[in-house]
Amino acid sequence: MPLPNRSTNYATSAAQSGHLRPATSPSSSRQGGRYTSLTQILDCPSSSATFECAVIFQAEILNRKFPLRGILATFLLLLTLLTATAATQTHRATLSEAILSDDATKQIELVNQLIEAGGDAFVVQALGAWRQGGVFLHETNETRTPFLLDAQTDGEGRAKGIRVADGAPLTDSSGKPLLFAATDLTAADTSSKLRKAIKTVLDLFAIANPDPKMRRDAVVKLGQDQNQEYLQHFEVRLKTETNVDVLKGLYEAMELTRIASDDASVRLAAIQKLSDLRSISSLNFLQELEKNARADTGKYGEETLKAAHSAVIQIQDYMKLGNLFGTAFRGLSLAAVLLVAALGLAITFGLMGVINMAHGEIIMVGAYMAYVTQNFFKSWFGASGIGFDSYFIAALVVSFFVASGVGLILERGVIRFLYKRPLESLLATWGVSLLLQQLFRHIFGAANVQVSSPSWLSGSLVVSDVLFAYNRIFVIGFAVLIVFGTYLLLTRTSLGLQIRAVMQNRAMASCVGVRTDRVNMLTFAFGSGLAGMAGACLSQIGNVGPSLGQNYIVDCFMIVVLGGVGNLVGTVSASIGVGVTDQILQPWLGAVMGKITVLAAIILFLQWRPAGLFVTRSRSLEG
Amino acid sequence: MTPLLPKRELILVSIAAFIGLVVLPCLNAFTPANSALHVSSFTLSVYGKYLCYAVLALGVNLLWGYTGLLSLGQCLFFTLGGYALGMHLMLLIGKLGQYHADIPDFMVFLEFPKRFPETGGLPPHWIPFKSFWFAAAAVVWVPGVVAFVFGWLAFRSRIKGVYFSILSQALTYAATLMFFRNDFTFGGNNGLTDFKFILGHDVNQAGTKRTLYIASGVLLLLVYLLCRWLTSTKFGLIQRAIRDSENRVLFSGYATADFKLFVFVLSAVIAGLGGALYVPQVGIINPSEMAPDKSLEAVVWCAVGGRGNLLGPILGAVSINALKSYATHAFAEQWPYILGGLFVIVTVFMPKGLIGIPEQLRELKRRFGPKHEDKLAPRPVAPTTDV
Amino acid sequence: MTRKQFILSLEGVSKTFDGFKAINDLSLYVEEGELRVIIGPNGAGKSTMLDLITGRTRPDSGTIEFADKTDLTALNEYQINRLGIGRKFQTPSVYVDHTVFENIWLSLEGSRSLWSCLSSRVTPSQRERIGQVLKQVNLAGKATAKAGMLSHGQKQWLEIGMLLAQNPKVLLVDEPAAGMTDEETIRTGDLLMSLAGKHTIIVIEHDMVFVRQIARTVTVLHQGSLLCEGTVDEVQADERVIEVYLGRKKKT
Repeated sequence: MPLPNRSTNYATSAAQSGHLRPATSPSSSRQGGRYTSLTQILDCPSSSATFECAVIFQAEILNRKFPLRGILATFLLLLTLLTATAATQTHRATLSEAILSDDATKQIELVNQLIEAGGDAFVVQALGAWRQGGVFLHETNETRTPFLLDAQTDGEGRAKGIRVADGAPLTDSSGKPLLFAATDLTAADTSSKLRKAIKTVLDLFAIANPDPKMRRDAVVKLGQDQNQEYLQHFEVRLKTETNVDVLKGLYEAMELTRIASDDASVRLAAIQKLSDLRSISSLNFLQELEKNARADTGKYGEETLKAAHSAVIQIQDYMKLGNLFGTAFRGLSLAAVLLVAALGLAITFGLMGVINMAHGEIIMVGAYMAYVTQNFFKSWFGASGIGFDSYFIAALVVSFFVASGVGLILERGVIRFLYKRPLESLLATWGVSLLLQQLFRHIFGAANVQVSSPSWLSGSLVVSDVLFAYNRIFVIGFAVLIVFGTYLLLTRTSLGLQIRAVMQNRAMASCVGVRTDRVNMLTFAFGSGLAGMAGACLSQIGNVGPSLGQNYIVDCFMIVVLGGVGNLVGTVSASIGVGVTDQILQPWLGAVMGKITVLAAIILFLQWRPAGLFVTRSRSLEG
Repeated sequence: MTPLLPKRELILVSIAAFIGLVVLPCLNAFTPANSALHVSSFTLSVYGKYLCYAVLALGVNLLWGYTGLLSLGQCLFFTLGGYALGMHLMLLIGKLGQYHADIPDFMVFLEFPKRFPETGGLPPHWIPFKSFWFAAAAVVWVPGVVAFVFGWLAFRSRIKGVYFSILSQALTYAATLMFFRNDFTFGGNNGLTDFKFILGHDVNQAGTKRTLYIASGVLLLLVYLLCRWLTSTKFGLIQRAIRDSENRVLFSGYATADFKLFVFVLSAVIAGLGGALYVPQVGIINPSEMAPDKSLEAVVWCAVGGRGNLLGPILGAVSINALKSYATHAFAEQWPYILGGLFVIVTVFMPKGLIGIPEQLRELKRRFGPKHEDKLAPRPVAPTTDV
Repeated sequence: MTRKQFILSLEGVSKTFDGFKAINDLSLYVEEGELRVIIGPNGAGKSTMLDLITGRTRPDSGTIEFADKTDLTALNEYQINRLGIGRKFQTPSVYVDHTVFENIWLSLEGSRSLWSCLSSRVTPSQRERIGQVLKQVNLAGKATAKAGMLSHGQKQWLEIGMLLAQNPKVLLVDEPAAGMTDEETIRTGDLLMSLAGKHTIIVIEHDMVFVRQIARTVTVLHQGSLLCEGTVDEVQADERVIEVYLGRKKKT
């Protein structure tokens, strides 16, 4: 059973800090030796804060629908209301005493007593300050008074001194507040041991932090200390905690702490629990335990060894499975990126036979269009909200049309003269790629531009410890969508029919009345448009800069060649093959060597099947 | 058949060789520095660099102009040759480096002594490069072997046309990534630099620079003559036959893959030699020199000068690089526009390059001149070459 | 079996392109010195058959043997050519950038090795042979002209000349008369007939006048298989052939 008064303290702490958000993260709010929110904390009467906390706490309890526990807690709460104010003053005095004490052991002892003071934001603040050298001593005659500097400074950089003992400003004899400059003061001493003790106390405060993420981090960290003393605090928290993630962390932390217990039965139960939880973060500890148990069976017992061993295997298997899924997902998402980037090329190169070295730059145009669209939306709707979030949909459309416009100009201006000279179209389009790169460098600068993701594309989905980033999921979905769209266009529309006719036999198509010139133009524009959309899509994943295209061009050509020219199924398979292979190789070889190996593998693969994975056979003589 | 050198070309080449190999070095050596005629050692080194590029361009031309193989990896071979000699030059620095160690600076910096303790930090494959002759041989065989392996694989499986170009680009890209890695033992992205000596001479001395310049000129002349000879033989005929109609050659009983492989390896070796002379004159070699872009640039020199003949690429390499040197000083921002524009204009409107301009003008005259209208002959589809 | 006298024998050869049976269980035997004409409607697999013989494509099944039982399916194009099987393509393929003389020179019988090509010398005997071939194909006056400048019919002849220069045992000639004037066609026919006996010749042709002029044995291909074989008259009278060409009756 947890001690009642501790319970109440955590409840208080949760509510109060919810109210006084900035005060609870002392390290982050520190600025030049001062604490931004000090005055604010002091202005808040602790009794009213405590009252509010009571309401919130009760609400939390009711939420959890534990009537019995709720009644008990309500009772405890009433107790808190009575004792809180007095306790606050005691904690501040204790802290002050600890600072003034010359005995290191006593200091640590006093600090440890402060574990219960988490409800008093000022104590939290002062403790943190002490640890980081932000507490100073004011010496008058024979008295020494520890104090902090207020956040507000006057024109000369001086600030009021706030007494640790009661939170009141230091005054001179006439009652005027004394002003100090940080540079003139020496901080109160701390030993490393003391700092560590303070840290622990602060950490224990943190499990009551209003931010669930911070809470979880604190819980995980504390669990790894395997300090049996903490168990009681965990259990207290367990009763009030509502956040699922934090609860999970708490369970893990408790069991992790218990495996270090001296009681064999507790230990065994904990090991089993961790194994059931598939707790990846406990793996190291379990392995360590297994090692120790093996080395000293007498102390730990055969059963612990066995249990630890099977738990380790259990968790490792789980991790392997997770890794497998993770790799598969990363592979698929890379495949989708490659596919999205290469699909336009599969049209222009695969179907039309045009070597467009500026393909990468058309992708770049698309990415920059996403940037431009984003900026417009930002100026219309501000930097967040539904208005802004919808920019990306518009960006896809804008990118498609601008890129196909660029493609259209390229086809009319350069490529149509070179249909019969593929090698020269390679050179000319490379020239175009140089022009485009430099043009964009001129307009947008040589540095990368910032394209921020809409909120629905940031973050990730976590399923059994495997992260699935939303933007990656989106790219996969998008790839499926545009491949399907392209397939429909080629097989179900009259333009598609004409495209296929022209690609198979230009002369014959021309004879039966297909305007081959127009079809060429539209096909190229369509391929370029796809590349543009790819660019918008890639802006969510990587950097957007003038050299964006260069990073994709070699990969794109490899994918199309590997898949077999003029074959959508081939392009899809090649993307998946390359993407997954790359991700499988990466852990062993590193990113660069992995890429090199994949390139070499492609070259060797083409030895075996020179026409790529899927061969489109033609009966024409010069095939 | 046709004489080795047509008379007009013989005169032209002799004059160019005389000016390049005799007059310029003399102006450097024997005129006072303040004279209007003086050619500074710096200028001479810059010209030497152009000549090395011209050698590279001749190799590209042998492949592309004559055999129809557009390799986007010629700068890889150029750089490999450069690295081979560069490694030797690195080892000659000795204790004069910034760390005053026995091994090159970058090896100290990258903590190679920990990686290769048994050799004092020098990777084992660097050791033979202490010998100049080994390095000189490596200049030839390293690019040759790489080209042989890649070419053998590619030609065996009948990879041709744009596919060959794309694959050679992928090869170059992979190699570039590899050389950028620090643990690949070739200096990572900084490459090899700070050379001090070559064959016992200070690389920064005027005399050494002059000698290197003359060596580049001689190399260019020799490569030129080699190409001239090769293209005049039956081999040359087959080369061009492969370019125009590879299947016909194959069905005439020639193993076209062997011919292509021979040309590919030869042009890789030529590129390697050019790279080896390039490095001591420029004083640095790093992986960005081998990037696919550079190879494409070399192709453009050929295209601008006029491929399919031997003077075009030399003209193209020298003139574009001179323009580049000038442009990157005068208006650096605009240079990519000029280069990109050149690519487009030359390939679309000047398929025969600078050398072909007179012919194109004659053609125009013939087309629009009233007199010869009846004599309008069908134009050959493929670019013509002068033998 | 009396197979040893056949210089070329195809047995049970099949080739499928993406489900399309271009050649279907085809067996064909050609005797040494024979002049064989192969006819058949479009898509009958005539050119594909030549592709299979010359190594341009490999059969899915069946055997193709040359003279002393050399398995052609295991060899590639230039090896088959070196055995003495020369081919003229349907569309004239000559080296357009080379002179007529050089075109013949490159095709001349002799070593095909890379090293032997590193010389520019034309021996007097080679020169004489080239002159002879040029006279045979009526191009003697055009020796220094670029092949690309020739007319279509002249290109056809040049390619035949290139074939002759190789002095092959078997000549595979794909539509030699296409694009020729009547007079040129007759000359071509005379040339082929004069070569028969010394060489084995397989001609693919559509022009029935030409076929009549040269043919002794005619083979009709249909849908990748052998339809019938015989003299011109026999073939022309054959019901099935008429059906295939003119589609008078429905096939059962």
